[in-house]
Amino acid sequence: MEDAVNLNFPSDPRYLGVIRGSIERFAALVGFDEEECRWITLAVHEALTNVIRHAYHNQHDKPVEVSLRERDRGMEVLLVDHGTGVKPEQMTGRDLNDVRPGGLGLHMIREIMDETHYSPLEGRNELRMYKIKGSKTSTGE
Amino acid sequence: MHIATRQQGTSIVVDVQGDIDLYNSPEVRKIILEELKEKKVPRLIVNLSGVRYIDSSGVASLVEGLKVSRTMSSRFMLYGLSPAAREVLELSRLIRVFEVFATEQEALQAQ
Repeated sequence: MEDAVNLNFPSDPRYLGVIRGSIERFAALVGFDEEECRWITLAVHEALTNVIRHAYHNQHDKPVEVSLRERDRGMEVLLVDHGTGVKPEQMTGRDLNDVRPGGLGLHMIREIMDETHYSPLEGRNELRMYKIKGSKTSTGE
Repeated sequence: MHIATRQQGTSIVVDVQGDIDLYNSPEVRKIILEELKEKKVPRLIVNLSGVRYIDSSGVASLVEGLKVSRTMSSRFMLYGLSPAAREVLELSRLIRVFEVFATEQEALQAQ
């Protein structure tokens, strides 16, 4: 059996801090440095936030699954929800020169992770993300 | 998360402690907008020195505060950013739009 850590929780934002703690510790266990652990945690948190807001429309009692596993030279994260899916082509970040609230999460995920694959399936949406150790996250600063 | 406001001269300082995320960013937003819109403070300073973590919804609350402050002709300032908070503002390319200071004293004295 392939090693994985599976986290199942309701789509209630009050659990996000608990999940962040688990993700950060798993990333450290795999061997990411402190800064990389923070980035990975932020990316997964933003993806979870999108699930709660957009797939489940802020309903707090829907199932969310997070799977963490060590893969090759890094870490893979699989998020599964059973809410409203979006077409992959609709997942576009916004123009960052436009200073306004909202729409930042997708940009953050793409800047941080090395690979992201979104699959809206029948009644089940999967977001698979992969981060390689040592790959830098550019902040543009 | 814990949030409180205090007066320093004509300025209001909003002290935030803990994590700002989807769970509690509405509270941060509410307090900031209340101070700006209803109390019409001339200078609002957000103390982020006790914030270990901020997500995009927290950043959005700060951006909204900044935009409202411009319509109210108020100043909107941040100070005490942790490495994690600074990284998130840099990643979202928004660090340049805020007035960011290292200390409360610097924010209070800024012309």
